[in-house]
Amino acid sequence: MSFDYLLLTRALLPEIALVIGALAVLGYDLTLGRKLPNKDRLGAALGLGSIATIAALVDAVLVGRMGPVYGATLMLDSLAVATRIGVLALTLLTLGIAAGARTPRHPAEYVAIILFATAGFTLMAAANHLLVAFAALELASLSLYILAGYDKARVESAEAALKYFLYGAMAAAFLLFGFSLIYGLTGELELGAIAIRLAHTGMSPLLGIALVMVLVAFGFKAAAAPFHLWAPDAYEGAPTPSAALIASASKLAGFALFLRLLWPGLGAVAGGAPGAAIGWLTPVAIIVGASILLGNLAALAQGNVRRLLAYSAIAHAGAMLLGVMAAGVTGPGPLFYYAATYGVAAAGAFGVIAVIEVNGGCQRITDLAGLARRSPLLAGCLAVFVLSLAGIPPLAGFFGKFVVFAGALQVGGLMDPAGWLALLAIAMSAVAFYYYLVVLKQALVLPPAAGATRIRVPLTAGLALTLAAAALVVLGALPTLVLRYFG
Amino acid sequence: MRLPVEYLWLIPALPLAAAGVGSLTPRGGRALAADVAIAAMAGAFVLACLALTSALADPAAHQVANFAWFDLGGGALRLGWLLDPLTAFMAVMVTFVGLLIFIFSLGYMKEDPNFTRFFCFLSLFAAAMLGLIVANSLLLLFVCWELVGLASYLLIGFWFHKPSAAAAAKKAFITTRIGDLGLLLGMLWLYDASGSLLFYDGGAGVLEAPVLSTLAGQTLAGGLALSTAIGLLIFCGAIGKSGQFPLHVWLPDAMEGPTPVSALIHAATMVAAGVFLIARVYPLMSADLPLDVPMHALTVVAFVGAITALMGALIAVAQNDIKRVLAYSTVSQLGYMMLALGVGSWTAAIFHLLTHAFFKALLFLGAGSVIHAAHHEQDIRNLGGLAPRMKVTFATFAIGMMALAGVPFLFSGFWSKEAILHAAHGWDVSQVPFYVGLAAVVLTAFYMTRLVAETFLGRPRSDAAAHAHESPAVMTVPLGLLAAGAVVLGFLGTPACPWLQSRLAGTPLHSDLGHLFEGGGLMLLSIVLVGAGLGLGWWLYGRRLRAASTDRDPLAVAAPRTLGVLAGKFYLDELYAATVGRLNAALAWCADRLDRHVIGGAVEFLGKFGLFSGALNRELDEDAINAGFDRVNAGLRGSGIRYSRAQTGEPQGYLRVLAVAFVVLALLLIVGGVR
Repeated sequence: MSFDYLLLTRALLPEIALVIGALAVLGYDLTLGRKLPNKDRLGAALGLGSIATIAALVDAVLVGRMGPVYGATLMLDSLAVATRIGVLALTLLTLGIAAGARTPRHPAEYVAIILFATAGFTLMAAANHLLVAFAALELASLSLYILAGYDKARVESAEAALKYFLYGAMAAAFLLFGFSLIYGLTGELELGAIAIRLAHTGMSPLLGIALVMVLVAFGFKAAAAPFHLWAPDAYEGAPTPSAALIASASKLAGFALFLRLLWPGLGAVAGGAPGAAIGWLTPVAIIVGASILLGNLAALAQGNVRRLLAYSAIAHAGAMLLGVMAAGVTGPGPLFYYAATYGVAAAGAFGVIAVIEVNGGCQRITDLAGLARRSPLLAGCLAVFVLSLAGIPPLAGFFGKFVVFAGALQVGGLMDPAGWLALLAIAMSAVAFYYYLVVLKQALVLPPAAGATRIRVPLTAGLALTLAAAALVVLGALPTLVLRYFG
Repeated sequence: MRLPVEYLWLIPALPLAAAGVGSLTPRGGRALAADVAIAAMAGAFVLACLALTSALADPAAHQVANFAWFDLGGGALRLGWLLDPLTAFMAVMVTFVGLLIFIFSLGYMKEDPNFTRFFCFLSLFAAAMLGLIVANSLLLLFVCWELVGLASYLLIGFWFHKPSAAAAAKKAFITTRIGDLGLLLGMLWLYDASGSLLFYDGGAGVLEAPVLSTLAGQTLAGGLALSTAIGLLIFCGAIGKSGQFPLHVWLPDAMEGPTPVSALIHAATMVAAGVFLIARVYPLMSADLPLDVPMHALTVVAFVGAITALMGALIAVAQNDIKRVLAYSTVSQLGYMMLALGVGSWTAAIFHLLTHAFFKALLFLGAGSVIHAAHHEQDIRNLGGLAPRMKVTFATFAIGMMALAGVPFLFSGFWSKEAILHAAHGWDVSQVPFYVGLAAVVLTAFYMTRLVAETFLGRPRSDAAAHAHESPAVMTVPLGLLAAGAVVLGFLGTPACPWLQSRLAGTPLHSDLGHLFEGGGLMLLSIVLVGAGLGLGWWLYGRRLRAASTDRDPLAVAAPRTLGVLAGKFYLDELYAATVGRLNAALAWCADRLDRHVIGGAVEFLGKFGLFSGALNRELDEDAINAGFDRVNAGLRGSGIRYSRAQTGEPQGYLRVLAVAFVVLALLLIVGGVR
């Protein structure tokens, strides 16, 4: 093992850029920006934040696939690099959304915390060591708790943050307990070493408990049933850009870390192979089934558009976990494609809501009525986002579903639980059309409510949403652009 | 300057971008939408010319640029662009004719409130048509094929408030869809048999020798070669799109669209796509078959073409709507091209396609100019006397008419028609298509003389015709350019110097003035027949010009029953309505019952069940767990003392679920693991 600090610094350039950017945002706001009105402070913070994110994005591309770094504490493989790039792009989208949303009370701190959370995400993408993984996860989670409760004058926001935090703290405790059990059983913290030890020792009851503890924690992070209960409240109450970040970048980073932990780290005890002892695939399969069923069915009965998106997120989490199950056969490509494009669509949908909110409230689905007349641009973007979530062919959402389900069917055809779950997921996708189309019917077909005015879309937010919609179209038409990277 | 094949996609991309801009332009931005569309088309024309120079540098080569679209299981689905003289000539023709028609539309559609939408659709059509031409994959070609169908539907139904236009759009879409089903099946079969849909792929494409020999070597039940079966299915698509018998019925109705649309889509370009398709897959259609195979796909093509050529010309004789005469003439001329393909001369077919595109676009735009001037009067019985009032339109229309009729030597239609007749004469299977072709020559000259005499000569027979005046320059200049093309283009492919044919086939050029009148007897015969047609037309319609709209047609006096059948278009529409239409209605009735009562019931049950479980879940989530929190929350606002109670109040419910789930999953794993 060699500890080359220069190499480590190079590998961590994106995180360094983000942290420096966050400090610059705070520094500017405390000195030059103090006298300015809130609106301008937000603009300056977003500008600096975007520069930092773009710098981090360039760094992530330049650093590239370095392989194991610092004694394999970090692993910069295809998945890590792609996830870093994806997370940073989603953060940029979130910053664009924040430009069109309500101005928060302390805008610079808000942007700085988004950047800290992003540093957590990019670190999660590369972590190959239990302690680094936990530290990265907590950096991200703590930032998200603050972001969820940022609008603390609103009761709903405080409620959302509180629930999110309590649930998250519990999950973190489970995760740490699970990690410590794994450490106790194997004596290793680095994933490659753990895998070698587990290949010898195999499954044991104590390891089973450790595995379930880890699954509980990630079930929380992914908002998969039955660990989803926080999600509808958090999505409903959190400030909209925060909800967008929770729904997109946080998901993508979480799944990348989860994938790395389960397959390269704990792949020896996956189970599922004929004759092998039962492993973590079984509880994951149960979580997948529960999420797909519960998410889609509960979404049918929602009247609140944010809660609807939350339940749809639960259903999508189930599909993504199916991608995790299949990743042993397909590699990380399909899951990454699904999670990244889902993130763009979900964050985009929240972005549309954020802009509508500034022009008078957007909680009920009926608040979307007549959007096509109030703002054709927003309605067009919303149509792309929602249709991508629903999985309509030319859009990226369809191909995400296609590659993940096809991968799940590759595992063992219909002889394997992954195959059954793929069938269930396909059937439930048909159910999901209903609630997605309910949203689009309000936005595109029905006339606006009396007294509803035209919506003025701020330039930055309009640009960010248009780019996001265009990305979904392009990635849907040319999925190889992403999938080739994992070739 | 040349255009490398890697950048060939720019040609369709430019009009596509223009369509995108047009779709976002508000109604008021008329100038913007039109300017962008015309600029994009002009750019595409320049690129197409560059592509032509690079294709002509090595006419025998098929330059390709293939790329993987996406990975599917073990293999990848690949698409690509193809540059050869066929692609390049078609691209230049479509962009040039398209550009002129775009410009003409500036004048013709000036008063339409949906001007921007019109240009958006036109650009979309041009993009799809050009994509179809540059595609190196049957799949990509099929996608663009359907897109031109969509654009055609949108443009035929452009004045959708007119019930007849809406019905015509629907008819066109559904009728061509029947043919497209064959094309789709052929494509799937081809993919299944060869594992590829690329035309040329360095030896592995479906039009290259190794694949062709396997396809031609396999025989199906009934003795049909596999390549023949696939070829016939692909030909179904061409029948629908190119208005061949028996699916030609949509094309005349499509004249409900604005006249520039008729010129661009239903005369010059889209309807020729079927001919282009067969020319493109010609190696497949003409693959060498074992000797004992009974039927060749090209034989079917030749006879379908011959029937269409004759039938279209016959019906055209009895039509009174200026655009419908031209529409049936298009049907007939497309039949000619199919005939040429069938008898083995695809270069003659493409030559006729190119010349026809110019003179038929010219005729349609001329008709558009007439209709524009005569306030949308299209019935030739009510026109007349327009020649002195619209001199430019009359002159150019006459050039187009003579090109279509095949007036010798000076006009392009003569040379391309000669090439087809020559090929048909040399066909060793049957002489029937040749005689049918000769009959169509007489009829074509006859009905075009009638059309010109009734429309332009004599006295005006309505107020509209009497007050007609020449169209503005934006409309007459394109007419002049097209007329020039209708003359000049013929000299690219005379027997003395068949430059176009040799470039298309990639063979060296032999030019010799002595060959100009090669096959002189045949040429003389067709000149005599053209003369007979013109003379007969003049004798019946020119000698004694119609005096009033209500006068009976001389043919109707002479042979009323024959003319009735022709005017009734052989009653094919009625036949279809009585057979296919009835059957369809009966099936639809059954399907409706099945849907409503059997499937609908099941779906309703499932839906109710879903709603019920959704509601149940919400009750649990929001009432049992959330309501408790909301109640506590109400208290929270009042006093901070009870804040701690809020914390302990609600999350317990959530966390209890978490704990229970943990225990259940852990037990499962431990119990299962021990076992």
